[in-house]
Amino acid sequence: MTKITNLYKIYNENKQNEFTALNNINLEIQEAQTIIIRGKSGSGKSTLLSIIAGLCKPTSGDIIIENENIAKLPDINISNFRNEKIGFIFQSFNLISGLNTFENVMAPLVLKKIDKNQLEKQVTQALKIANIEHKKEQKVENLSGGEKQRCAIARALVMNPSIILADEPTANLDKSNSLIFIEMLKKFKELKKTVIVATHDSLFDNLEFVDRYIDIKDAKIE
Amino acid sequence: MNIFLLNDIIVFIFIEVILVILMLISEYSVIKILKNWNFSITTSLQYSLEKRNYLVNTIINFTIICKIILFFFFIKSLSELSNVVPGAMCIAGVIGANDYGEVLLLLKIFIVFMLGIWLIVNRLDIKSKKFIYIKPKYFFFNFILFLILFEIFFEVLYFVNVPLKVPVFCCSTLFKADTLPFGLTQSNLAITFYIIFSFTLIFSYLKKIVLSFLINILFLFISYFSVTYFFSIYIYILPNHQCPFCILQKEYFYVGYFIWISLFLGVFFGISSYIIESLINKKITNLFKYSILFNTIFVLICTYFVVIYYIKNGVFL
Repeated sequence: MTKITNLYKIYNENKQNEFTALNNINLEIQEAQTIIIRGKSGSGKSTLLSIIAGLCKPTSGDIIIENENIAKLPDINISNFRNEKIGFIFQSFNLISGLNTFENVMAPLVLKKIDKNQLEKQVTQALKIANIEHKKEQKVENLSGGEKQRCAIARALVMNPSIILADEPTANLDKSNSLIFIEMLKKFKELKKTVIVATHDSLFDNLEFVDRYIDIKDAKIE
Repeated sequence: MNIFLLNDIIVFIFIEVILVILMLISEYSVIKILKNWNFSITTSLQYSLEKRNYLVNTIINFTIICKIILFFFFIKSLSELSNVVPGAMCIAGVIGANDYGEVLLLLKIFIVFMLGIWLIVNRLDIKSKKFIYIKPKYFFFNFILFLILFEIFFEVLYFVNVPLKVPVFCCSTLFKADTLPFGLTQSNLAITFYIIFSFTLIFSYLKKIVLSFLINILFLFISYFSVTYFFSIYIYILPNHQCPFCILQKEYFYVGYFIWISLFLGVFFGISSYIIESLINKKITNLFKYSILFNTIFVLICTYFVVIYYIKNGVFL
């Protein structure tokens, strides 16, 4: 379970340009739920995802994931935690150019000292789920937008994380690729993953498999 | 000629001042952390202290590593000074040029040991996830900072009082055989050295924290005299040349650096378990293997010169 209590994120605190990105957020997300966080640009969606992923620290409040307050973890531990428990799909994919699809998906496994056969097995499985196995030899800069997205999904899945976070996953995709991504979310649900998507794309409205919609406005949950 | 216009001294003092400034900047945050730290709460102040803790750790780690490197630069600078100070043939003459030199050198060695201990405690603190050693770690840092400020004071006193016109005494008069500890003769000193070394190995192997601390301190003391009055004469191949510093020079292939560094590391790892246990009440026994390793390297280097001399000449000096 993911439990967020009294969460605040204030940028430039006590300065003239102080900005409150998250204002007293309280949230409970059960395991294997699919959650869509909706809101306009600048409403605080991405900040919330970044804090859940441990990419940035809150100003105050608790974020308890699987009984661990991740906001209190030292940097080295938070990196390990993120590597093992969280898969993050970024808006701009954040793939490593110069490497091919297989190597990009393999990247999170490099930190784990696992044998070559196991590594290949895990990467191939992730590529299959994301439906991008046929492009595994291709350099990522030569992939289309949708293919890059699927490569990023495979990379998020390769460590078999319990939580998948996606920040504006369809912002750089056309409608057909966006619908493919939505289909992928169903797959995640079948795999019993906790999925949290931050988006302002109306394609995500009224999806039957989504457990909960959370609307954020002016840094607060409505 | 002014000693403060020598390149080595300018560089040394300049770096030293920068490092002290960085430590003093860190001290501001250290005081804040010591005053307000409470890891169990999730307030804005606590999170800001946690962030500050990372910054301070990074700065202190950097300054400590620089300070340790700077210690060797200090030794090198003294070696260079021996070309300027009249009568000095090596560091012995420069260090003994006034009353502050020997105190300063001992203080520097002590500080380097303490800095090493701090690095280990810091590592344990970060690994503990909940920063359980943060307060003793920073109280210990305050103690080290105090020593460093004291060291700066001594450095100024020392450099100001190095005579550049009056000749100083060097190794031949500074070190005499009658200063051997406990009235030992040269051969008895060597035997004592090897017996104490054996005990360091035994206590380290058995992971006896207190005994290892005591025997390593004794080993450091005996080693200083053994190197100066027994082993060094085999390095110089001169029975009357008894100096702990000339072995640091190029003529002797800088072997002194290997000798002293391996001794300091061996003793450091031998005593640190006890100091760490006293500081943070945690038993650390995995450092003893490094003590065994470095003490053995030290003894092997020293013994090598005696053995080679004996093989070549069939007699001891």
